[in-house]
Amino acid sequence: MWDAALIALGKFADPVHIGMLMAGVMAGTVIGILPGLGGIASVAILLPFIFKLDVHTAMILLIGSVAVVHTSDTITSVLIGTPGSAAAAATVLDGHPLAKQGQAGRALSAAFLSSLIGGLIGAVFLTLSLPIARPLVLLFGSPELLMLCVLGLSFAGFLTGSQPLKGAMSACLGLLLGSVGAAPTEAVYRYSFDQLYLLDGIPLVGVALGVFGIAEIIDLLAKGGQIAERIGLGGGWIQGMKDVMRHWGIVVRGSLIGVWAGILPGIGATAGSWMSYGHVVAMARDRERFGKGDIRGVIGPESANNSVEAGDLIPTLLFSVPGGAPAAILLGALFFYGIQPGPRMVQENLDLIFTIIWGFAFANAIGAGLCLLLSPALARLTWVPFAKMAPAIVVTIFIGAFQSSQHFGDLFALLALGFLGWLMKQLGWARAPFLVGFVLSKPTEQYLWLSISRYGAEWLWRPGVIVMGLLLLATIVWIVVGKLKGKQSLDEESTEGPPLLGKTSSIVFTFFILFVFAGALYEARSFPYLGAIFPVAATIPAIFMAVLQVVLDLRAPGVELAPEARNKTGTALSYFLSLVLYFLLIWLIGFAIATALFTFLFLYGWVKLRLSRSLIYTACLVGAAAFMGWMLGLYWPAGILGGW
Amino acid sequence: MKRIRSTARWPVSRWLAGFGLSLALAAQALGAAPYYEGKTIEIIIPFPVAGGSDIWIRTIGPYLERNIPGNPRLVYRNIGGGRGIPGMMEFALKTKSDGLMVLVSSATNYFPVLLGDKAAKYDFRQWKPLLVNPVGGVMYVSPASGVKRVEDLAKAKDLIYGGISAIGLDMIPLISFELLELDARGVLGFKGRGDARIAFERGETNIDYQTTPAYNATVVPLIKEGKAIPLMSFGQLDDSGNIVRDPAVPDLPTVPEVYEKIKGRKPSGKFWDTYKIFMPSAFAVQKILWVKGDAPAEAARVFYEASDRLSKDKEFLTKTSKVLGGYPLQRGDRLEKTIQQAFQIDQETQRFVREWVRKKYHVKLD
Repeated sequence: MWDAALIALGKFADPVHIGMLMAGVMAGTVIGILPGLGGIASVAILLPFIFKLDVHTAMILLIGSVAVVHTSDTITSVLIGTPGSAAAAATVLDGHPLAKQGQAGRALSAAFLSSLIGGLIGAVFLTLSLPIARPLVLLFGSPELLMLCVLGLSFAGFLTGSQPLKGAMSACLGLLLGSVGAAPTEAVYRYSFDQLYLLDGIPLVGVALGVFGIAEIIDLLAKGGQIAERIGLGGGWIQGMKDVMRHWGIVVRGSLIGVWAGILPGIGATAGSWMSYGHVVAMARDRERFGKGDIRGVIGPESANNSVEAGDLIPTLLFSVPGGAPAAILLGALFFYGIQPGPRMVQENLDLIFTIIWGFAFANAIGAGLCLLLSPALARLTWVPFAKMAPAIVVTIFIGAFQSSQHFGDLFALLALGFLGWLMKQLGWARAPFLVGFVLSKPTEQYLWLSISRYGAEWLWRPGVIVMGLLLLATIVWIVVGKLKGKQSLDEESTEGPPLLGKTSSIVFTFFILFVFAGALYEARSFPYLGAIFPVAATIPAIFMAVLQVVLDLRAPGVELAPEARNKTGTALSYFLSLVLYFLLIWLIGFAIATALFTFLFLYGWVKLRLSRSLIYTACLVGAAAFMGWMLGLYWPAGILGGW
Repeated sequence: MKRIRSTARWPVSRWLAGFGLSLALAAQALGAAPYYEGKTIEIIIPFPVAGGSDIWIRTIGPYLERNIPGNPRLVYRNIGGGRGIPGMMEFALKTKSDGLMVLVSSATNYFPVLLGDKAAKYDFRQWKPLLVNPVGGVMYVSPASGVKRVEDLAKAKDLIYGGISAIGLDMIPLISFELLELDARGVLGFKGRGDARIAFERGETNIDYQTTPAYNATVVPLIKEGKAIPLMSFGQLDDSGNIVRDPAVPDLPTVPEVYEKIKGRKPSGKFWDTYKIFMPSAFAVQKILWVKGDAPAEAARVFYEASDRLSKDKEFLTKTSKVLGGYPLQRGDRLEKTIQQAFQIDQETQRFVREWVRKKYHVKLD
């Protein structure tokens, strides 16, 4: 085995291979930074280029880009509070507050270092597990996988903040949103309202970008000014590295959680990074700072999301079953070369496996270094008045969201969820449980379905299930005790200053959510029995909680809103409307003209940039957007009034 | 102009070659340029990037570019999701009759039509098949099931099959179980055939099938280790549309052969009708490249000729054998009748199948 590793290592002395690795890393880094574009986009962009390369070179190129996406996506998450890829949403929670406090340098260097270590641990684990991975994976049957998902869901309990009732409803809302589309076995299409778009469910990218990205952008715009005060970045970089050294335990545990999330089918990078975040909060003695800028909240998810990609490779290479979406494309590329991974892969293509592992490890190192070099410059972006950056960010987010299924529904979902996320943020509904519920909804339901239809009720008595059941019980007790003791777990930071929305808005919102749950339950009456379990299980408790919440809201003392807050709410809403307007323009006159118009009006009319600068900015942005669209193979539909 | 290399010794032949070439150039200048010269062909793939059909067309694409006169450029456009319907509709509605847009289709696109899904508003009868590539499927059992040979199937107890959905490719094995009257049930809801195979390996299920390429790479090693026993194939179609043995696994009997072995008579009945209608769409004519029916005849002809040339091209055959699954890349015109027949279903059988998936697998079709 080891000589194969050395032979594969020798390949990296070839300048062509080094060049390809660098190209992959560059592409991955840029794609990671662009909000909403992650591993899938990076592999998809590079895929057309590989058809003329040999298999080793092609794999180096692809793996190079996949490996670094979760290193560089942190930059966007930390600096502008918008997830650089869906899996980086957990990093936003603590990373962005740190940036606002002028500690962007510290957050970024801690993130890069833990990403790097996570990636390397992943590579080592991947190597060591080659001989034993097959039996290890075969140990987990559907019931055990189900219990793992449920355990992951229970972690949402740690993320509910100081208003556990709202947090729990938020998780239920996520579960419900995740059940939109085909039920397992295509038995029924739920909540699709005859829209083809909804048959596949709502894409994760749109959910993550909306609930965290759009919500944050509206807030930053309403706040005005720049993201952070202009303080020297100075010693922050060293501080971040020291933080990682001090919390090395978190790094190791986070990486292992990531590897496992990758190995097990259906979990993925996003769920992995949230589980790692949840575990950090669960194990912390002092939880007051989480959500307000605790460096541990950056280290946890960052060490997990790189190692997920390493874990993903185990089922991909040894079972020919993709561990995640980027791995699925990688697998397709291997098919193209006539290599069908499987049990024989270790005997027949060991050198290729090691090329991939080495590529992954090197790319992680180069990527972290590259990000470290780029960051001081990028961190300066937080000093730029945010409104000036906003059009570029908004356009990129729209592209990122549209890329997931190239349907107007993507943009609609982005905006609707963006507004929902903004309301949740203002009204103290934790958004983390929402995303955890959403990402785990599909696999949990799938394994529940499989367990019941394979084993009936017997699945409950399998030893693995009992062990994990006890673990689950302990977790729940742990959460409840923590809440009773008043050990305040994280509160996602809301807007600085007095609340923007008062008692009435809060009651109206809760009523709206109650209405959604009740409607969903009513719809579920026509679903066949297995297809109904999940929606019913998510909505019934949520309805009780919502009623309770309404009662609590009614009894709470009214808060007098400062007149300033009303103004701010108005500003925020008008910014949101400008995004809606952009969406409508795309629909009416096509993407290119709409983008030009939106950017120009925003800069010249609103931000009051000089005419010449507005024009140059607009031209550059439209050009860049067209280039990105071309790279991603986007087909924007022509506007209904013509245009393109 | 490039000099023509000639190995001939006589200057006369060199002179002749030059003369021939100038004649050819003259002919081109007179307007006989190849139809696709300087043009771009857009290929609509109603599936996401790197799926089976995507890899299939991207693998043979470069060979088509080289073998179609005029060397057109191929561009690929994936329109994934929505059970393939958005991609199919894009082709159905937006294509002009110039042969510059072609479509790749697979079983996912045929089943909604056969099952009478109202959202599938496309009609294959208006299109012409250019290229066809079959896929095969092989069923195997675990030794723990007690089945050693196909003859044991009839008395086997509690066979468990893992699949994705009763209205996809899994329908063929599930229908086979009904046809052969086995004590077998489907546990559905797996994410892919690979996940179902993992469940087989860990003993959660004990009967399974894989498409032939996946079978060769992932199941044959299990057979060698004694962890799986091959049983039968779903078969392929011959020129007159009869189900015959699969050339990729010629030693294995087909489902109807197994029926005869177990029951001692030719298969018949509703499940047999269903099998005959759905098996070709699922396997025998699975991958098809289409052009609109009113495209110029030359557009279709160059594809047929390219396929003829490729069937003799050694490099093509070795480089693409894994992706083509060991089956030839066939001319669409030869199979046109078989294909159009494969997408026909009588109302009675359609009602029967819909009723069966509803009752047995709780699938709610619109």
